[in-house]
Amino acid sequence: MSIAAQELTATPRKTGVSLLLQFRQLIGLLVLRELKVRYKRSVLGLFWTMLNPLLLMVVYTIVFSTVMPVAQHNFPLFLLSALLPWLFFNTAVLQGLTSILTNQELIRKVRLPQAVFPLSVVGSNLVNFAVSFVPLLALMLVLRQPLTRAMLFLPVSVLLLTIFTGGVTMLFATLTVFFRDVRHLAEVLLQVLMYLSPVLYDLTMLGDRKLWWFKYFRAFLAANPMTYLIALVRDPVYYGRVPDLSTLGIATGFSFASLALGFAIFSRLESRHIHYL
Amino acid sequence: MRPGEIQIRNAGVSFRMYREKITTLKEALVQRFRHLRTAEMFWALRHVTLAIQPGEAIAFVGHNGSGKSTLLKTVAGVLQPSEGEVTTVGRISPMIELGAGFDAELTGRDNIYLNGALLGFSRKQMEAKFDRIVAFAELDDFIDMPVKNYSSGMYARLGFAIAQDVEPEILIIDEVLSVGDERFQAKCTARIRDFRSAGVTFCFVSHSLETAAKLCPRAAVLHHGRLAFDGPVEPAWERYRELERGPMPGPGIDASK
Repeated sequence: MSIAAQELTATPRKTGVSLLLQFRQLIGLLVLRELKVRYKRSVLGLFWTMLNPLLLMVVYTIVFSTVMPVAQHNFPLFLLSALLPWLFFNTAVLQGLTSILTNQELIRKVRLPQAVFPLSVVGSNLVNFAVSFVPLLALMLVLRQPLTRAMLFLPVSVLLLTIFTGGVTMLFATLTVFFRDVRHLAEVLLQVLMYLSPVLYDLTMLGDRKLWWFKYFRAFLAANPMTYLIALVRDPVYYGRVPDLSTLGIATGFSFASLALGFAIFSRLESRHIHYL
Repeated sequence: MRPGEIQIRNAGVSFRMYREKITTLKEALVQRFRHLRTAEMFWALRHVTLAIQPGEAIAFVGHNGSGKSTLLKTVAGVLQPSEGEVTTVGRISPMIELGAGFDAELTGRDNIYLNGALLGFSRKQMEAKFDRIVAFAELDDFIDMPVKNYSSGMYARLGFAIAQDVEPEILIIDEVLSVGDERFQAKCTARIRDFRSAGVTFCFVSHSLETAAKLCPRAAVLHHGRLAFDGPVEPAWERYRELERGPMPGPGIDASK
């Protein structure tokens, strides 16, 4: 079997990353389309995006301030600063993993790098993520949380989180084509992963407990990419400090490893998708 | 090879035909992926060899499921051949159906840019083509209307208008000129003739002898995934009708490989 010299419209003979780069404007248009369709005819429009994490935050805050009190200063901010990056990752992966299936009509008719579909889902969720910083900032002002210069670090945090999410989304998108129940598996795994990531708690709150499984829990947290990626957001927002170098280094490593692995696996399996759609 | 040339050498495309439909991980694990080993191969296309020269137009004819669309998809690069080789030189329009990728909710204007991006063109490149596309489609008054409100003729006009403006060296269209009124069909026919005189290679599927004869002198007949005839349009149609009338040969399923 040989894949012969196929050339595309505008610029010929491109493969992999450079082909994907040629289609970056398509990713932009697909993001716009997704946002347009999502907010069309809904009066509150983008406000839904801001409302969703805020409502979750209110629920958790009530639970953790009255039902099971946690002595954490400014708990709503402590929570929201981790909930936002988590929800971005969680939603992008869950929406993105069906993106090849939902675009199958197009994939059957047009030759294009299929990675544009999961990546555009990540893109539209990135817009939502960025918008949700507005209520976060408002909450910081209301709760008199100091706005420090460390906040300027946030674009780097968001970038790394996006790169990481992109890789994971591509991986799950291709797996879902071959096994449709990956979707349900991912839903369960993500739910468990949320509790095994420092979203509702922080590494410093754990201390040392005399439970046989506790060291495994700590080891898992240390190996969990989300531990570092969440810290990249929570540190500047809640603790008012720039993340330390080791956190940044590990988060960067995980992000690029995820992207490289996700893209490599996706590209390998891409041409076989059409047989399973 | 020159731009616009297509070489198809012993090409075949196979699909797995599962005895049991397995789409979940659990089933696959329980069966230890047996479905992959025992699947029968269905050859939608096999042992097809064709050479198409720059500026040539060729019509593909055949019954439903004869492999016409599969062949065009392979040339366009939507599908990879399972065996043999498909080589093309030059810019190919990578879309085999007019208006594929139109979003019903978006306006005609937005869809032109979206379609351009699907073909790998930047916004800037599409801006340069925009007025020509709208003029060709004769949709000036409707361009800011969502395409879901278009008639099927308007939809097809916009699709063809975009496809004809992407300056391909190889143009592939699955069902050409099946919609649109007579006047617009004549306009498309004229445009395709222009293309041919400019050296653009044109491959299309046709169910009508009349359309095919208008557009090209050559036709290829596909029958159960095999190339049954390749030559002038009139005898091609005779062969096609003969095959359709005659006793059915063996099924297209070949379990040998």
